[in-house]
Amino acid sequence: MKNSLEAFVDRIELGEKVEATDWMPDEYRMLLIKQIHMHGISEVMGAYPEREWVSRAPTIQRKLALNAKIQDEIGHGQMLLRLAEDLSSVYGRGREDLMNDVLEGRVKFHNVFHLEAPTWADAGVIGFLVDGGAIITQAMLLNSSYAPYARMLKRIVAEESFHMQLGESEVLALASGNDAQRQMLQEAISRWWPAMMFFFGPRTMGPSAQRMMYFRIRTLDNEELRQRFINRYVPRIRALGMTIPDSDLRQDPSSGRWIYTDPDWDWFSRVVHNNDGPMSGARLALRRQAHDGLSWARQANLYATSEQSRQGGVL
Amino acid sequence: MKHPTTIQITALKSLILAMADDEWMMGDRGATWLALTPDLEEDLAMSSISQDEIGHAALLYTLLEELGEPGADTMVYERGPENWHHAVIAQHPTHSWAEWVVRRYCYEVFDDIRRKALARIPYPPLIASLKKMDAEESYHLLHFRSLMSMLARGGPLSRSYVDTAILADWPLLADLFEWGGRDEAWVLWDAGQLAPSAMRSAFDLVVQRDLIAWELEWPGPVRVADRAARHHDNSKTLPELLQHMREVRHIALAGNW
Amino acid sequence: MSARPDIPVYEVFSQKDALSFATHVGSVRAPSPEMALQLAREAYFRRESAFDIWVIPASSITHGRDFRHTLPSAPETKAYRMPQGYDNGPLWKKFKAHAQTIEDVAKEMSNGRSD
Repeated sequence: MKNSLEAFVDRIELGEKVEATDWMPDEYRMLLIKQIHMHGISEVMGAYPEREWVSRAPTIQRKLALNAKIQDEIGHGQMLLRLAEDLSSVYGRGREDLMNDVLEGRVKFHNVFHLEAPTWADAGVIGFLVDGGAIITQAMLLNSSYAPYARMLKRIVAEESFHMQLGESEVLALASGNDAQRQMLQEAISRWWPAMMFFFGPRTMGPSAQRMMYFRIRTLDNEELRQRFINRYVPRIRALGMTIPDSDLRQDPSSGRWIYTDPDWDWFSRVVHNNDGPMSGARLALRRQAHDGLSWARQANLYATSEQSRQGGVL
Repeated sequence: MKHPTTIQITALKSLILAMADDEWMMGDRGATWLALTPDLEEDLAMSSISQDEIGHAALLYTLLEELGEPGADTMVYERGPENWHHAVIAQHPTHSWAEWVVRRYCYEVFDDIRRKALARIPYPPLIASLKKMDAEESYHLLHFRSLMSMLARGGPLSRSYVDTAILADWPLLADLFEWGGRDEAWVLWDAGQLAPSAMRSAFDLVVQRDLIAWELEWPGPVRVADRAARHHDNSKTLPELLQHMREVRHIALAGNW
Repeated sequence: MSARPDIPVYEVFSQKDALSFATHVGSVRAPSPEMALQLAREAYFRRESAFDIWVIPASSITHGRDFRHTLPSAPETKAYRMPQGYDNGPLWKKFKAHAQTIEDVAKEMSNGRSD
């Protein structure tokens, strides 16, 4: 007789999907929470670098589109947080706890959202490269063994296709603009490239990422994702007449693999693990302002509706 | 209004411009709440509302363009501060959630009254635009009413924030009801509802009823603004806002963005 | 455990048009059913319309997967319930008439209406 863990893994290997209320090994649940919580919080934290540019967007259409894009990201955060909350309910943890975790450093978010976005071109390049990278990762997760995650990702990827077009449209406009616009674009690409090399994680995956492969929560390793990103974006960036800030970047003619300069792994790791990036503090302060600063309003809503139901009325 | 007179066109423009500028400012200020409201679900609702307002402003600027004014982007990115005609409250920065909810609730009540009054002007492009706006605006009014109702009944702390916010916002409401057109214009259109005094009393009626239902203190009728109101938002924050808003575009004013 | 209580969860279902059944689309946290409808609108329907939206407290839903024996599976031995369980064609042929299917009938009726 196989034990329940082996039987579970067998089923997953046959392509069976797992639902929220199904029995699952603790390890599987913990890995899912780790992955989906981090993914959701990253979507929420991703709103902060871009929102700085909404009020300064250079046309009405750009302002509307950037608003809508950031709104989608918050929406993705909301949908993913809901999944992580459902998984965490067995530990008695819900939205309040999961949102607190980021303020207290218990959940990480993507390296890119700890960095500065000092020009309008950064908003465009975030849409172009960061969303581009996120789409590659998310497309890989569409086949995740955890069905609620895979279902939600279908929706998320569909919305990301608008983000992709928007980011490219912003970048294309700058690339066909005047010298100042082109220079702004080049500087932004140079700023974001090393961060994108870190974005997919270390060349050799850590133990929990490997276990996520084992449980088919994810299906491709870090290096494979990074290679696909480079392969897709290098020709596009070069076609725009922009330079990639890596003089060693080249494609091995026999294997087709890209050779690239390693990002500063230690520095980026410290940024992510210790919330130690140039903008980590400022962005967390905004999150705290909303979550802690306005917790009174969430509690007021609860108070009002419980009063109402005590009095037998409808709101 | 097949062949509007010059007086009517001038009056029409000043009404539409005031509304467009109000919507723009509310939308632009509203967007600063992105990712900063009490919860993720509310972020989504608020962001849609802000996008709606910006969209309505763009729609109204396009109506003005048809009446001979410059295009929407020019109106937003190149107009001097002295030529904006929003009500002071629309541009006033706010950092308090309670104040924002109170302000938006008041604005939505006012805007509802204004749209109904404007719909009496027999100018088909305006009527068509108002129709487009109505579906979205009725959601705004509903949502801010719900938020007000819950904050008002949300316990002593929440209640005290709302009370303070009402007192802070009340003196700022006056010039919402004014407009730049000549008083005779609404007589020509048989639209007496457009008279500032008529809009003000319609507003007072609704708000008084709501506040009493929520057991909030009604601070009394909104004060009457002087007739130069809406012509000049003299606040220091307007030029600051416009400069900030235009910072990127001015890198290449004629450029492609 | 947090000191702050959580806002309740509502599962959201939408009916795309009058002739569709409602389908689950996701969930929202909201203080009341009416607020859940207001919030669901901008959380799940920013790019589409809906004929109707239902919100249901998540705690009110019972899942069949928690009671496995209640879950249906397509039976292999009950062909008599299925149209494929019948082979009238050859017999009709003997009587010099054609077999018919319900799809033929439905097609004719809908053509009849739209003509």
